[in-house]
Amino acid sequence: MNAPLGSLHEAPDDAVLVAYAQGDDDAARLLAQRLVPRVLAQATRLLADQAEAEDVAQEAMMRLWKIAPDWRQGEAQVSTWLYRVVANLCTDRLRKRRGVSLDQIAEPADTQMSAAARLQETARLSALANALAQLPDRQAQAVSLRHLEGLSNPQIAEIMDISLRSVESLTARGKKALTELLAGRRAELGYEDE
Amino acid sequence: MSKSDEDMLDDLFSLGKAQSPVPSEALLARIQNDARTARIKPATPRGSVWTGFFDMIGGWTAVGGLAMAGVTGVWFGIAPPASVTTLAADLIGTTVTVDLLDDSSTYFSEVSIDG
Repeated sequence: MNAPLGSLHEAPDDAVLVAYAQGDDDAARLLAQRLVPRVLAQATRLLADQAEAEDVAQEAMMRLWKIAPDWRQGEAQVSTWLYRVVANLCTDRLRKRRGVSLDQIAEPADTQMSAAARLQETARLSALANALAQLPDRQAQAVSLRHLEGLSNPQIAEIMDISLRSVESLTARGKKALTELLAGRRAELGYEDE
Repeated sequence: MSKSDEDMLDDLFSLGKAQSPVPSEALLARIQNDARTARIKPATPRGSVWTGFFDMIGGWTAVGGLAMAGVTGVWFGIAPPASVTTLAADLIGTTVTVDLLDDSSTYFSEVSIDG
């Protein structure tokens, strides 16, 4: 039986997920509207590649649809679960990129900027994604959740299922490693003149 | 590691954080389609013990193959082709012939038991 869409709009994500599992098509639509923008944004920030980010978003949502019948309402937050799934899917892809040259990373689509500015932004985003790809998986996940998603350390600890101290250690080591990886590329990325 | 290197990284983080793409209609449509498909196919297939057994050995195709091999074996036991009889005799040496059917049978001739 489908619940009225109005009442679903007021419901938390996990309640909507349970409604989806019980056959409510409106619930699936509502969850997609709520969750896909954030899932896609997280994947885009980590991968700097629109096509790959869309693939990750679709795969993450597919995993959510599949787990829906077994979801225990109130035990975990859907958003926390999705952060973890997207981070894992992205680091899987980043790992495969190690050794791939910067030129092989696709350009993000953006028609609002000048060609030169777009090229520079593309180069910078690709440089960051490629540097993240060089980090150990857990460091890349912690750094991206902290500095790209803007999450707090307790949130990251919950998502990654680790202690606060581990989060602090991973983000500090990850940031230091990223700085070293990118240190020689200031001129190439247009930071010498700024 | 200089201050300017750290500033550059902070700028890259800000640039990355500003990326907030709007999902395309095509992506949302694919995800909606996945939602329908995932609900139609249960995540954990339910079936009987026999279904699981058949799946384990390769499904109905494999069961059909096994059945055909069994029938062929029985048939060779009743009426072996001449080549099988000759091969057995060559390998083992002695051939003892036992008639299972009377001579009037037009379909079955004889069975050779090697020993």
